Amino acid sequence: MTSTASPSPAPQADVRVGTPAIELKGLSKSFPGGRAPALDGVDLSVPRGGIFGILGPNGAGKTTLMSILGGLILPSSGSVRIDGHDVLTEARHIRHILGLVPQEPAIYPTLTARENLDFFGRMQGLSGAYLESRIQACLELAEMTGEADQRVEQFSGGYKRRLNMVIGLMHEPEILILDEPTVAIDPHSRALIHDRLRELNAAGISILISTHYMEEAELLCDEIAIIDHGRLMVQGLVPDLLAQRRDEAIELQFFGEPGAGLARALETIPGVQRAEQAGCRVRVFSDRPEQVIAPIMQRVQAEAPTLRSLVFGRASLEQVFLSLTGDRGAPR
Amino acid sequence: MMRNLAKLRASVVKEARILLRDRQALILFFTMPVLFVLILSLSLRDVFGDRPGATFPVLVVAEDQAEVGRGIVDTFRANPHIRLALAERASEAQARQWLIDGHYRFVVLVPAGATLQAKRRLGEIMAEVPADLRLEQPVSVRVLADPSLRSDYRKVLEGSLDLALHGIEMKLGREQLEQALRATQGSHFTGLPDMEHGRLFQPVHGETVTKRGGGPTPTSVQQNAPAWTLLAMFFLTVPLSVAFIKEREQGSLFRLQTMTVPAWVVLGGKAVPYFVINQIQMISVLAVSVYVLPLLGGDPLGLGNAPLALLLMGASASLAAIGFGIAVAVYARTTEQAAGFSSATVMIMGALGGILVPKAVMLPIMQELAVISPLSWGLDGFLDIFVRGGGVDDVLPEALALLAFSAFCHAIAIQRYRRRV
Repeated sequence: MTSTASPSPAPQADVRVGTPAIELKGLSKSFPGGRAPALDGVDLSVPRGGIFGILGPNGAGKTTLMSILGGLILPSSGSVRIDGHDVLTEARHIRHILGLVPQEPAIYPTLTARENLDFFGRMQGLSGAYLESRIQACLELAEMTGEADQRVEQFSGGYKRRLNMVIGLMHEPEILILDEPTVAIDPHSRALIHDRLRELNAAGISILISTHYMEEAELLCDEIAIIDHGRLMVQGLVPDLLAQRRDEAIELQFFGEPGAGLARALETIPGVQRAEQAGCRVRVFSDRPEQVIAPIMQRVQAEAPTLRSLVFGRASLEQVFLSLTGDRGAPR
Repeated sequence: MMRNLAKLRASVVKEARILLRDRQALILFFTMPVLFVLILSLSLRDVFGDRPGATFPVLVVAEDQAEVGRGIVDTFRANPHIRLALAERASEAQARQWLIDGHYRFVVLVPAGATLQAKRRLGEIMAEVPADLRLEQPVSVRVLADPSLRSDYRKVLEGSLDLALHGIEMKLGREQLEQALRATQGSHFTGLPDMEHGRLFQPVHGETVTKRGGGPTPTSVQQNAPAWTLLAMFFLTVPLSVAFIKEREQGSLFRLQTMTVPAWVVLGGKAVPYFVINQIQMISVLAVSVYVLPLLGGDPLGLGNAPLALLLMGASASLAAIGFGIAVAVYARTTEQAAGFSSATVMIMGALGGILVPKAVMLPIMQELAVISPLSWGLDGFLDIFVRGGGVDDVLPEALALLAFSAFCHAIAIQRYRRRV
């Protein structure tokens, strides 16, 4: 990142160090005609200065939560405070410190990248030399200086998402909220967005990101919350959550689906409590995992499916997610 | 406030850029009303104006060459709306075929011996022969008409023929009377006074009434130019509402909402460029009607003598159209809904408001119903200026009605736009 693109740290960060960046208390939302509440008494505290991930399967309530944070829809009950200010009554204050990046690129396809940045910058109240410097900084941040004067409709999905993200940074917010910023884009653009988010965070910006990608959350986030059916299932630091699940399973992945007999064969090994098969994966539970690995490998070789990987001793966030949400929503 | 004005300016610039890049739409916005006015004004000019150009081919088959045949021919020849063709002999079947083939719109069959028959019947009437004992029947001058000829034209032609026959009756009656008086009074009778130069009534000429007196006679272009300008203005509600909904679907509108950009800035950013387009539409239609139409043989448009009133009407009609478009955009869920609803509503308002069919030819009940259409208010205002010589005072009621409609639409749109579920 170039020096001009470095976002300045929050000017009063040390004064408000104790105030959470985002705080939800008893947040509920029901839509007319909806069978169940989209959000049901969510309490959540997003600390200042970190990268916080919101995970949840489809229909869990993530988008509703993001829309409430953006002030687009009203909560049915509960409160939402951003930087200590109420979203409903102090929206004007929040506007200056909050950057919101919607899931779908919210940009004008027939305008150029520069014109989009210029327009949204002006809508944030920027003008003059400062506006110009911010446009340049954001173009550099998105690595789009060469494409600045091309119409957005000619861009690939990755470029659109990069532009979508930096528009949310035009006014140098202290808190950045991103709704699934890397859905369906090329690996290069995804890596660039990840790098930029880490840099922005290092520069003092608090980041809240909703994502479907477990790997992304594991790589990027310090802390996560998992929501499902509108309820908060768990909130915690990523290492703590992983540690809680550490002794749960030995996971075997195969190139093809193993025969149904494999799980039963594995369960006959002394020390194995149970074995579950789901598609190409078999999870083996044991309270003495180190001792059962060798017999498991023997059985696997005997049954002859082609083993792809064996993971032991490190639960993935995906396992945490699946155990909490009951394998719903096909996380990737 | 100054910050919000800067935002409005940026919003207008953004919308203008988007519009200017949609060349096809722009071409459509400006050519559609101009073409409509040119085509309709040229094709309908004779329906409205009292023009000598409104002629109909009429065939008189005058098998009678005496007073009756000659009288009819002379009357039609003196009528500027009739392009007269003569035949001394033709069967009825032949005449019908000529009508069907479109050679003539109207055929008058004057039977052979018509004059003689008329004179003999007159003699019997003068001799006071009782009606049931008279030998001669009234002469039948038959008329065949093209069914596509409008019924009011047919009536005009029939009236003209009736008038000719009435004149012939008078003339034959006078001759008979003179003969009778001469027979009874001999040399004492010096002839009846010359009635030709002693008319009891002035020839009738209708006079058009205008507010400021002496306005030009209404022509098709005076109906068409404002009518199609108004329709084009209101048709902009389709692209306006579609553009708004697209912005919502693309998410940029939500982004603006999260930035707490005031509703009037967002909606005003749309309204201003479309207002400018509306004004250019009006100017181009008026310019074409004033300068191009006469070159193509049409009537030039008389703009009246109240440019301020014209500006006021143009602005209020445009604001009404934009308000309607924005209200549709905010309430409609999809672009299809918005486009379908706004185009259908504009067509209905246009039909009701005398845009598609002039109010003057509508049934009385429909003329009263027209008052609910904003396009009717607009058209009345423009006609006040063009036809009735009206000024700002005269168009004020219509302009205020349009502005009130616009304010109502904008108010419900802003209320809905601000609403959060």
